[in-house]
Amino acid sequence: MAEISFPLPDLGEGLIEATVLEWLVTEGEMIERNHPLVEVETTKSAVELPSPQAGKVVRTYGEPGETIKVGDPLIVFEVPDDTAGIVGTVPKEEAPKRRVRLSANLDED
Amino acid sequence: MSEHTTLSDLEAAQDNTTAADVQQESVQNFPEPADVGATETMSMQQALNRALAEVMTENPRALILGEDVGQLGGVFRITDGLQKKFGEARVFDTPLAESGILGMSVGLAMAGYHPIPEVQFDGFAYPAVNQIICQVGRMNYRSRGTLPMPITLRVPSFGGIRAPEHHGESLEAMFAHVPGLKVVSPSGPNEAYHLLKYAATRQDPVIFMEPKSRYWQKGPVNTGADAAGYNPNGSRVVREGKHLTLVAWGAMVARCLQVAELAAEDGIEIEVLDLRWLKPIDAEGLAASVAKTRRAVVVHEAPRTSGLGAEVASIITERCFGTLKAPVERVTGFDVPYPSGDLEDEYIPNIDRILYGIQRVLEYRRG
Repeated sequence: MAEISFPLPDLGEGLIEATVLEWLVTEGEMIERNHPLVEVETTKSAVELPSPQAGKVVRTYGEPGETIKVGDPLIVFEVPDDTAGIVGTVPKEEAPKRRVRLSANLDED
Repeated sequence: MSEHTTLSDLEAAQDNTTAADVQQESVQNFPEPADVGATETMSMQQALNRALAEVMTENPRALILGEDVGQLGGVFRITDGLQKKFGEARVFDTPLAESGILGMSVGLAMAGYHPIPEVQFDGFAYPAVNQIICQVGRMNYRSRGTLPMPITLRVPSFGGIRAPEHHGESLEAMFAHVPGLKVVSPSGPNEAYHLLKYAATRQDPVIFMEPKSRYWQKGPVNTGADAAGYNPNGSRVVREGKHLTLVAWGAMVARCLQVAELAAEDGIEIEVLDLRWLKPIDAEGLAASVAKTRRAVVVHEAPRTSGLGAEVASIITERCFGTLKAPVERVTGFDVPYPSGDLEDEYIPNIDRILYGIQRVLEYRRG
């Protein structure tokens, strides 16, 4: 298993920090991509951040009321070592299936 | 990072390997990893990561740059942990601008570094095509050999992972057409490890096309001292057979091996040739295999028209015309934009389409 840290992104044009309002996930929880992670408030607005990926939540940073700087860790996920990238899915290894049979007169060779 | 190379240093250190040299180097089928010595089992992802770490350790002028390659470790985790290990000066994130990634790589190469840029997905390579064709491919020629371009451009390539548009393409024919570039595509973890280490020590630019759909499959890899028996040049016979040669590269090699297994049930012994180098193409290796089997089918994901399969068919025909039992058959993608994930299985050559291609060749009779 590997850990992947997701830092607080810039939520607007050049904002430098955000305040945690409420965590919407708990440590140990398995979540899917786009699952709501946390509600934060910036100087512009309160926003709900969707999860950038699927995985198990290992750690969250910041209690409600605490301020986190852009670029500082927000949440850490645990994912399988061979997990897919951010785009696409890992192809399944399947037993080969066929409908076509070969026939040849190789005597002429 | 403070020391800079002068042009005379570069000239002294210059490895004069050219495309012609690669073609001339002997083509031999080196033993399977298990025969060479101790192996470790790892995925292509891990093999590439290991190779990059070793290249960075061995060559202090090697640099890794690209979108999300630093802090995130790459969207496919190929550069995972490398920024922590080698520092932000040598492994760094770039703005979302492929033209800038390659433009910066050209400048770094001119200053004596060995940049290893990543274009995050093959579909994003197009904005960098001007730099790749007009600078990367030509600078050595333009400067009469005084400004080589030791750039190893990693491009996660081809389809098979159900990605949205722009995240799967097959650009090998486009790159192979550009003078001054070399193009290579590994088919599995051991190939990926060794070919990347080899490419990243060349003085010539190499487009390194990583088959995304094979990133996660594990296989034995010879690392360290046990890697001495590996020959990175030319093509490689991955399965021997006598009735027909299947030519493929990248992800299609694994599929062709499955096809060869199925064909054996029908009494047809198929030789599978992993072409590996798409520029220069190993003409001798192709000719040696087809001289034996007298039939050939070439398989690729790219669209058919002006695809690399046409070049392969032409080389085989030029060298084996007198003994070929049938025209070289191509089993390819279609002449349409690369489809989104849901339609991939209809587009990428599947087992039955490859078997049909083989059957057409087996049935062919002159006159």
